[in-house]
Amino acid sequence: MNPKERDQLIDDLLEGTLSEADFLRLEAEFCVDPEARRAYFDRVALSQALAEEANLAAQRPAFRRKTRLYAISRIWPALAAMLVISLVVPGMWWQNRKIKALASTEETKASGFGVLVDQVGAQWSVSGLHDGAMLPSGKLELQSGVAHVELFSGVSLVLEGPAEFEILSAMEIDLPRGRLRARVPETAHGFRVRTAKGEIVDLGTEFALASSAEGAEVRVIDGEIEWHPEDRESGEGEKRLMRKGEALQTAGGTVPSAGDFAGLEEFRQRHDAERGRRREAWIERCRALDQDPRLVAHYRFATEGHSRQLPNLSAGADRPGPGAVVAAVAAEDRWGQSGEALDFSPTGSRVRVHVPGVHESLTLVCWVRINSLDRLFNSLFLTDGHEVGAPHWQILDDGRLFFSVKRLATSP
Amino acid sequence: MENSTIETAFVSALTDAQMPLRLYVQSLMPGDVSAADVAQQTNTTAWKKRADFEPGTNFKAWIFAIARYEVLNYRKRQARDSRLVFGEEIEQLFAEDLSTRDETTERRHEALRGCLAKLRPQDRDLLMHRYDADAGTLDEFADRVGRSVGGLKVTLHRLRNALLNCIENQLSTAGEPT
Repeated sequence: MNPKERDQLIDDLLEGTLSEADFLRLEAEFCVDPEARRAYFDRVALSQALAEEANLAAQRPAFRRKTRLYAISRIWPALAAMLVISLVVPGMWWQNRKIKALASTEETKASGFGVLVDQVGAQWSVSGLHDGAMLPSGKLELQSGVAHVELFSGVSLVLEGPAEFEILSAMEIDLPRGRLRARVPETAHGFRVRTAKGEIVDLGTEFALASSAEGAEVRVIDGEIEWHPEDRESGEGEKRLMRKGEALQTAGGTVPSAGDFAGLEEFRQRHDAERGRRREAWIERCRALDQDPRLVAHYRFATEGHSRQLPNLSAGADRPGPGAVVAAVAAEDRWGQSGEALDFSPTGSRVRVHVPGVHESLTLVCWVRINSLDRLFNSLFLTDGHEVGAPHWQILDDGRLFFSVKRLATSP
Repeated sequence: MENSTIETAFVSALTDAQMPLRLYVQSLMPGDVSAADVAQQTNTTAWKKRADFEPGTNFKAWIFAIARYEVLNYRKRQARDSRLVFGEEIEQLFAEDLSTRDETTERRHEALRGCLAKLRPQDRDLLMHRYDADAGTLDEFADRVGRSVGGLKVTLHRLRNALLNCIENQLSTAGEPT
């Protein structure tokens, strides 16, 4: 077989148009001729390189001539991100799109009765209560802020700090201090809230409660509840049925008010407002950063107008060009804005950037939400290949950060 | 050596082996777009078996053995025997060749970019479209671009030959990079 025919057969093989008879001939050739195998490797490598180039070219309006840039340097980092750990709570998951810490394995083991769905300005006496966390058993203290909790019974609670509470089961909580508003679905009739001065038994409703050591106030917003006073000898009466619109205050002491309380809607509005403020603050910060003369490149993963290019936001002159989005798809950012982030879960997802230059030191910063670490190396920032001086920044599948810069070999 | 030092060395070896690994897997799976996934699966398996690697022995040879096993696994899952598959001894030969192959992938890729820029725009476009992830089989592609399969085959083959020649020339004239 002459090289010409051989190369044609190799190309046919790679194109999927080779007949079985020719395949056997080619295989025989590979068996005896190292040169034939080398030709095969070269062509396989060429097709891989072309596929990679095509991937890039597809992202650009026109193929650019870049020869000059290559002469300067060749750092071709690819940015990639990844996704993690999902606590599975069937049917209870509610708008939980927030960051989950890598260390949430602890919580998954905890035998809680409910989930912290959302919070605004919440300060807890213990750490680790991020959105989506299973609430641990035992006493909890919400020092300030508002927290939205969903119990596995379907009961939805909005708690306002300062509050102390304990979730005794999915159907019973103890609230010695603090304010709450509860919405109880039909499936959770009989849900109980204990206070120092008495106990609420829900009969299918929405109610607000303010509780302290001195007293309690209860307002029925919808449906019915039963109020069971703690001390029946004190003359506060027997259990009492309360209907929509009715309110009750225990006698004596300073009784906190249950009215004027954050419902879920107001809670949501407050949350959105705070999210908006934080987003604004972040944008401000980015603008300042973009003006920093030391900044080489800043790519925001916003894909407005379905553009697959990300402009370099660095304001300096002669900065690297735009990044090209490959495979990754538009997603919501951490403030709920759609199209402002990229989801890197599709295979081959990356943002390719060309950053010429040699730097004595480099600071890399990124914001990533991790949904899973399902690959051995989960890339944050890579260069094509691993040349001397090229940085590689990755997260290993066990959660460790791995950063390396290839150094010169000490001896040949 | 401490455990962490060994692991760091392992990760470094693994990183260096990525290009050869991808080439090896693709060589065993000619024209199959799943090769990248199989190479990635190989990484995962290699990491799990990292304790089995004996420092000082040929890392590429070691990971190629794992890669071959992953390719066999993949073929089993596909449950499709229509694809052309090399015999075992050929696959071993590939592993031997590639574990000692002079690593020029990076420079070749760069040379390729220069060579692509020298092509006529319509030829370059044709190649870029043919190697696009969504291009499909040659039949489908020919349909899409409105050309005969035979004519396309000839053109593409000619272009690949031109690129390979150009790359060889660039590498032989460029000399060693500093």
